[in-house]
Amino acid sequence: MLAYIARRLAQLVLVLVGVSLITFIIMFVVPGDPAALLAGKNATPEKVAQIRQNLGLDEPLYVQYGKFMGRLLRGDFGTSYQTGQPVSEMIRENAPNTIQLAVAAVLIELIGIPLGIYSALRQYTFWDTTLTTGALLIWGTPVFVLALLMQYVFGLKLGLLPISGSGGETFLWIIPADLENLEALILPAVTLGIIEVAYISYMQRASMLEVIRADYIRTARAKGVAERRVVLKHGLKNALIPVITIAGIDLGALMGGAILTETVFSRPGIGLMIYQAIGARDMPVVVGGVLFATFFYVLANLVVDLTYAYLDPRIRLEEG
Amino acid sequence: MTDDLIGTQEPGGQESIEPMAGGPAMIVGRQPLGLWSDVWRRLRRNKLAVVGLGIIIVFVTVGIAESVSTAAGFNLAPYDPNAVNYELSPEGLGSPPSWSHPFGTDYLGRDIFSRVLVATRISMLVGVIAVAIALAIGLVLGPIAGYYGGAVDSVIMRTADIFFAFPYILFVLLLVTVLGGGFINVFVAIGLLSWAVYARLNRGSVLSVRRMEFVEAARAQGATDLRIIFRHVLPNTMAPVYVAIAMGVGGAISTEAALSFLGIGIQPPDASWGKMISDYLSYMAAGRWWMELFPALALVITVFGFISFGNGLRDATDPKLKE
Amino acid sequence: MAERLLEVSGLSTHFFTHAGVVKAVNGVSFTLDRQETLGIVGESGSGKTVTALSVMRLVPDPPGKVVAGTIDLKGRDLLAISEDEMRQVRGNDIAMIFQDPMTSLNPVYKVGDQIAEAVMLHQDKGKKEAWSMAAELLKRVGIPDAKHRVTQYPHEFSGGMRQRAMIAMAISCNPDILIADEPTTALDVTIQAQIIEVVIEMQQQYHSGVILITHDLGVVAEMSDKVMVMYGGRTVEYGPVDEVFYNAHHPYTWGLLGSLPRLDLAEKERLTPIKGNPPDLMLLPEGCPFSGRCGYERPECRAVWPELEIVGPEHGVHCHIPADERLTLRAGLPRFLAQVS
Repeated sequence: MLAYIARRLAQLVLVLVGVSLITFIIMFVVPGDPAALLAGKNATPEKVAQIRQNLGLDEPLYVQYGKFMGRLLRGDFGTSYQTGQPVSEMIRENAPNTIQLAVAAVLIELIGIPLGIYSALRQYTFWDTTLTTGALLIWGTPVFVLALLMQYVFGLKLGLLPISGSGGETFLWIIPADLENLEALILPAVTLGIIEVAYISYMQRASMLEVIRADYIRTARAKGVAERRVVLKHGLKNALIPVITIAGIDLGALMGGAILTETVFSRPGIGLMIYQAIGARDMPVVVGGVLFATFFYVLANLVVDLTYAYLDPRIRLEEG
Repeated sequence: MTDDLIGTQEPGGQESIEPMAGGPAMIVGRQPLGLWSDVWRRLRRNKLAVVGLGIIIVFVTVGIAESVSTAAGFNLAPYDPNAVNYELSPEGLGSPPSWSHPFGTDYLGRDIFSRVLVATRISMLVGVIAVAIALAIGLVLGPIAGYYGGAVDSVIMRTADIFFAFPYILFVLLLVTVLGGGFINVFVAIGLLSWAVYARLNRGSVLSVRRMEFVEAARAQGATDLRIIFRHVLPNTMAPVYVAIAMGVGGAISTEAALSFLGIGIQPPDASWGKMISDYLSYMAAGRWWMELFPALALVITVFGFISFGNGLRDATDPKLKE
Repeated sequence: MAERLLEVSGLSTHFFTHAGVVKAVNGVSFTLDRQETLGIVGESGSGKTVTALSVMRLVPDPPGKVVAGTIDLKGRDLLAISEDEMRQVRGNDIAMIFQDPMTSLNPVYKVGDQIAEAVMLHQDKGKKEAWSMAAELLKRVGIPDAKHRVTQYPHEFSGGMRQRAMIAMAISCNPDILIADEPTTALDVTIQAQIIEVVIEMQQQYHSGVILITHDLGVVAEMSDKVMVMYGGRTVEYGPVDEVFYNAHHPYTWGLLGSLPRLDLAEKERLTPIKGNPPDLMLLPEGCPFSGRCGYERPECRAVWPELEIVGPEHGVHCHIPADERLTLRAGLPRFLAQVS
């Protein structure tokens, strides 16, 4: 067990290194000179060269990467080309919004589980068909379209909720502690959450349908177990497993910053941070942000795999 | 014995009976069921999937027609999508849907129906090209990884892991920024980043199939490894890949729209639904809803079609889903 | 005089599907006494399993339905009682074990849990007591180190052990009747014999009646007192096992017996399979389902279902061919068992 975890952690490091390398290389291939951008339109060549030297951009690639990795190992993500602010600080500023949104969205999407189960048990009825159709429709809607729709309906027309921003007080870094914070969270979280609810309810339904036809369900009935118990005890645990893993991975993925949602709702977060940095060719910020997102994603995968092994005794940590 | 008196009746087989004297043939067999006709039969029963297929066919046809017409230089749409006409846009706010302009006009007086129609071409191209690229990479690396196993497998899969670990949209953004805008680059970027899905899918199937006996048989006949992989193993592992393709096209279209919405990718004068949604956004507040609505509808319906069909295909090819 | 446990009369179960009506079981009748073993034989699709499921009222509805008949369990018609009452019967008065023990046991719960569940359900015992009973039962079916095994999961058991565990689960509440649906089909030949042993032993210990469903004639010969031969959803022949084997009267039974490989005959002897394919259960004729494969059909075979004809002590057959003609035909068959003991 411990060996398995150790191996997965090693993999995590490997992936992070790979990701940082690729991002680094890409940033260098990007057309556009951060120094020039920084210096502005009317800067003299000397000024630009000066900035380049300050940022260490005039050194060869591998030297830059080497320095970068060295700093990384010490926990220093470097500083933004644009603002000179330490990247780790920028991340710390933007992370709470992203984490808050991710957690809220995942909590909302868990509603999909009972919906999917109910749909499976009432297969082919009106409720089931409606739910499945609705789920597919929503799932297929691109997130920014849905975000715009939500904004329009609930924000502009009905004036119920704010359509942008964040702020207000939080408790324990991510739990809304006042109305302002909560209000700003609702629309983006629901937008993201609903699309995932659609996906999860569909998957849960499929999983449940498969489980309900299994031989061991027939055995349980043959023992005289009441139908309700057959479903809830014998069926549920099996049906839940694949869906829980989906929810877990979603949580990890959302840490990457839901950039589209953040853009539409003008909600500063990791996604927006990286997006702006790309535009400004601000390499340390991009790399720092991507590493942050990747770390959580891979970690989430690891946790999900462990949970999976815990829930399903057949999967007790096979090698490979 | 007396097979000539009463013919053989096979369950599910073709009817082959001689009518008994004095009466019509009493036994009618059913059509033989091949694998794909079975899938088709199950698929047909799924109404959503059928609707999805219908949508796909409509949009793909329009896409092809538009591509042909663009290449040949003529315009299929009722109006020139780029023809500016200030008269149709009083106060620069466009005009609502009418008989002559079913989707209305935008702030420059351009016919929205024509614009949506022309943009279909871009979306369909995205789907096709991006997925084709991803498949080209994934269907080569996947089977190789699955077939050879060991170090080869590890290297390929670790690389796939890295690609998976990247936050998708951001990575595409990054790549597009690197390559520059323009729609070809967008397609390439999306395609380059999606190969991992197909590779992983495929590898799993290949892993399980490669131990099966017909592979032994082929090897015993002297087939080279390469031939075995691509001629024998691959065709048997394709079912989940077809599903992934359907979903992948839907995803690619969605991603392109998102990129255009963010302002990256498609450059004017090319129109794309995502770009239109982004362009016309500010007019919503002024109550000019039709500009935003129709491209959005086109987008949602198209993606829905692909996803719906993809899901239906998955259900229809799932051996565990007994009826 | 043995106690009569079960009397099934005219049972018919049909499945109403999109593609048509599947007549899985048509007019099947049989009885079972205490400590008696009834073997039901036939090929896949003959209706054996559906018959058993019908007795347990476990036929999936939709699309299946018992459309005719009565099932009398010690005086009660199981088709007439409520679902709640039926649940009391399942696992308690009648227990069933299934063909594939790997998929028939729930993979995410411990074996002890699954056995204890049956006990707690029907015998009003507490959890601790139920679990110790489970361990005891595992020991009784011959699983070594039962106390430890009871805490394990199904995938940690071997195939034969899983089937033993299923048997333990089935007998846990001392049922009057044990239905075993192809209990040995999914197992190695060597294990098969062991499992049969276990079933026989349990039957003797608990004095239950056993319905053994199988397509393996060897198992039937070894274990059964009576045998019922099914084809296309109907009973074609029925009687004491010796009678049916040595004095078979139905062409299908001849086919079954004749297709058995035999070590003692000349090497040049070839196996004689039954020509043709199993019938399409949606397109069954009104008469005998075996017509078309029989080889001895008469014009009325397809159209009219033959009445029951008694051809020996408690031995009945459904066939239009006159009895004496049958005997002649049978004697001419190349590999008939009657010639060898």
